[in-house]
Amino acid sequence: MTDFHPLVKQLLDGEVTLADLPPGLRAEGEEALRLLGAVHREPVTLPAALEAGVMTAVRHRAAAPSLWRRLTAPREVRLRVRPWTLAPALAAAAALALLLSPPRPEPKATTVTVRFVLFAPQAQQVALAGTFNQWDPAATPLVSTGASGIWTATLTLPAGEHQYAFVVDGARWVPDPAAPAVDDGFGRRNSVLTL
Amino acid sequence: MTVRLVVALLAIAATPLEAQQDDAARLAGRVSPEVAALVRQLATDAAARGLPVDPLIQKAIEGGAKGVSPDRVVIAVRGVAAQLDAAAGDLREAGLTPLDTEAIAAGAFALNAGLAGRDVVTLARASRAAYGAAVTLRVAGTLTALGVPAAETVALVSETIRAGRKPGDLLALPGRVQAEVARGATPAQAAAGLARAAAAHANAPGQNRPKHPHP
Repeated sequence: MTDFHPLVKQLLDGEVTLADLPPGLRAEGEEALRLLGAVHREPVTLPAALEAGVMTAVRHRAAAPSLWRRLTAPREVRLRVRPWTLAPALAAAAALALLLSPPRPEPKATTVTVRFVLFAPQAQQVALAGTFNQWDPAATPLVSTGASGIWTATLTLPAGEHQYAFVVDGARWVPDPAAPAVDDGFGRRNSVLTL
Repeated sequence: MTVRLVVALLAIAATPLEAQQDDAARLAGRVSPEVAALVRQLATDAAARGLPVDPLIQKAIEGGAKGVSPDRVVIAVRGVAAQLDAAAGDLREAGLTPLDTEAIAAGAFALNAGLAGRDVVTLARASRAAYGAAVTLRVAGTLTALGVPAAETVALVSETIRAGRKPGDLLALPGRVQAEVARGATPAQAAAGLARAAAAHANAPGQNRPKHPHP
């Protein structure tokens, strides 16, 4: 069996794309994907004679004692319950129930910390307004990092979809150039952040 | 017992009124009183149809903050209400009942981002317990807002769900597309590449696919 490079295994798992691989590993990655695609997955069909023979044998064995006989045959049943044996039994049942229970969705992170950055060298002040602060341009000012023209703000936001824009010098609404944007219904664009 | 019943009934009856007062408080000072009254009426009607109210209030406040004329604010709020109605219809068509307001809002966002109603239906049907319709539609809307064509968006999100990836991986898709675009791919190419990887993962032998379709 071929032992692939760990990065190629990540490619097979879909965690990286072929383009993510270093050039030296791309041929190995392509070969691995080719092998994966070539796996034969058609269902196996058994010969009809074999299937019929097996089913005949099964029916022959199953015919043994009748249900009526099993139900009506006299037998002694004794049930003895010791209280101290119940605890491990309950624990085992709980463990089994836990193992067999369907997978639950991952617990959602309720808040996520996000850093907003805008390059605006000419700006005197920059703020952030969006669905998370009731579109209040005064609520979230960005801080200028010296003379670089870079303005930043770090916010902790609830998980979900947020729309926002930068407000430059209190008047100009500017979408985030680094984020996707949608029509705001007023002829402008709102940036979108999905957490 | 009778007193308890009366108190409970009063509490139920008072809730919409509280919500209306809350909406009025949010709109006060942010839009003109006339616009606030119209938006409150639209919100009451929307709530009666089982639609979320917050997107309507938010759109009105946004219009006020941006200095938009009152007429345009009302038009935009009506537009949001129409998108919420359309999204609710699409989710019903997908068989998602009872509808939750979060999923409706996410559907409206996806429509606004550029997806068609049939895409919302397809994505809602593809969503499963671990990947609720709201998250699925939000991610799809964000991908579309990034410039990914609708067909590629639907394929990428559907394949990622089919591959049984973690919900966190679904949320990471827009970032992964952006990373590919930064390397020179178009949004469509980036999404198609990620969808192929997800499909390969889903079709790999021994994959543990989700067994619990959306209730």
